[in-house]
Amino acid sequence: MTNASNANDLALLYRVGRGDRGAFSELYRLYQPRLYGYLRRLLPDPTTVEEVLDDVMLVVWKDARKFRGQSAMSTWIFGIAYRKAMTALRSEIRYQAPLDRSTDANAIADKTSPDIDWIRAALVHLSPDHRQVVELTYFSGFSYAEIAAIASCPINTVKTRMFHARRRLKVLLPALAGQAREHDRERA
Amino acid sequence: MNARKLMPHEEAIELLPWLINDSLSGDERDTVLDHARSCVICRRETKALENLRDSVKRVISPAPIPAPDMRNINARIDALIHRQNLGRRWLSWIAEFCVSPWRIAFVAQTVLLVVLGTAVLWPTTRNAEFTTLTQSQDLADGHYLRVVFSPDLTHARLGVLLDDLGLAIVDGPSERGVYTLATQNSMTVAERDIALTHLSNHRSVLFAQPVDLGAAP
Ligand SMILES: [Zn+2]
Repeated sequence: MTNASNANDLALLYRVGRGDRGAFSELYRLYQPRLYGYLRRLLPDPTTVEEVLDDVMLVVWKDARKFRGQSAMSTWIFGIAYRKAMTALRSEIRYQAPLDRSTDANAIADKTSPDIDWIRAALVHLSPDHRQVVELTYFSGFSYAEIAAIASCPINTVKTRMFHARRRLKVLLPALAGQAREHDRERA
Repeated sequence: MNARKLMPHEEAIELLPWLINDSLSGDERDTVLDHARSCVICRRETKALENLRDSVKRVISPAPIPAPDMRNINARIDALIHRQNLGRRWLSWIAEFCVSPWRIAFVAQTVLLVVLGTAVLWPTTRNAEFTTLTQSQDLADGHYLRVVFSPDLTHARLGVLLDDLGLAIVDGPSERGVYTLATQNSMTVAERDIALTHLSNHRSVLFAQPVDLGAAP
């Protein structure tokens, strides 16, 4: 993030903190695509995504005054989204007999060609913590330091979560690792 | 010759996900790349991670992102501002009202009468409350909320709502779909009433009622 865009973000958030609805509208439109994509990849139901997104933005509206610029504004907003998404993910597991999770891990690992259901099922087999770090790294493009700030945890925890997520995915999706090995051999 | 210190394998392999998402700082990136040049395991791992990322991205990229719809969030902010203004008006009314000691005495007397009246009428009120909802036998004395949620409320959304209010389901659903809610520690009347206001205004809550069991404080 450049200093100029950081200053613009801070100015925008300052206006939101002063109760400027126009500024809030601008901020909402700025973040809605990224937040929607992030939440949609984690949560199965589009209605839940829209409601959780609004929950996130309501916290932004209420807490804008409290933001002191300790981190980039995007890290702060994603930190709020992370916590809301985490609660929603854990609730899915707690309150629902999780259909997706009942997919046998061996059956996933036996598949030889990637398709949507196959990869989705593998991701559902990750814990919410591990899924979040995979999502924030591969799709939202955050650095490990930013993820540590978003998840309010030490950098080493982020690295450890990613390590375990990778190991789990390797077991669940060996065909992808196999494709990589073939590709490697072709290049050698 | 490269003067950079070689990075140990364990450190480099941990950083590969952030090498491929292009978020490592310049120096760190160069050090990881230096290591990968001489390490076949890290090169293979990089390829596997890129492959995984591309496959996952391809299959779970969300359907087109809908255009921002701010109707719901705007209504929630309006309600929030309305509640804040109402609170401020009450405070200023109380401040204005309490300038005279006679008025303070009048208020104190009224409060006392209400408290005494409640104490006298208490058993009747308590019995009346239990005629509408199923009663649980196992709940400890305390302040609770009985709530009926809209059927379109998802489990994830329910979890977020309860978490926001610091509530948990302690009983239910009953045959009529009634849930009993409480805080983790015993809830005060004031806390319960704040939660009740939020729930009553929530569009996924069809019905919310306070319930007091036993001689709760
Ligand atoms: Zn290595």
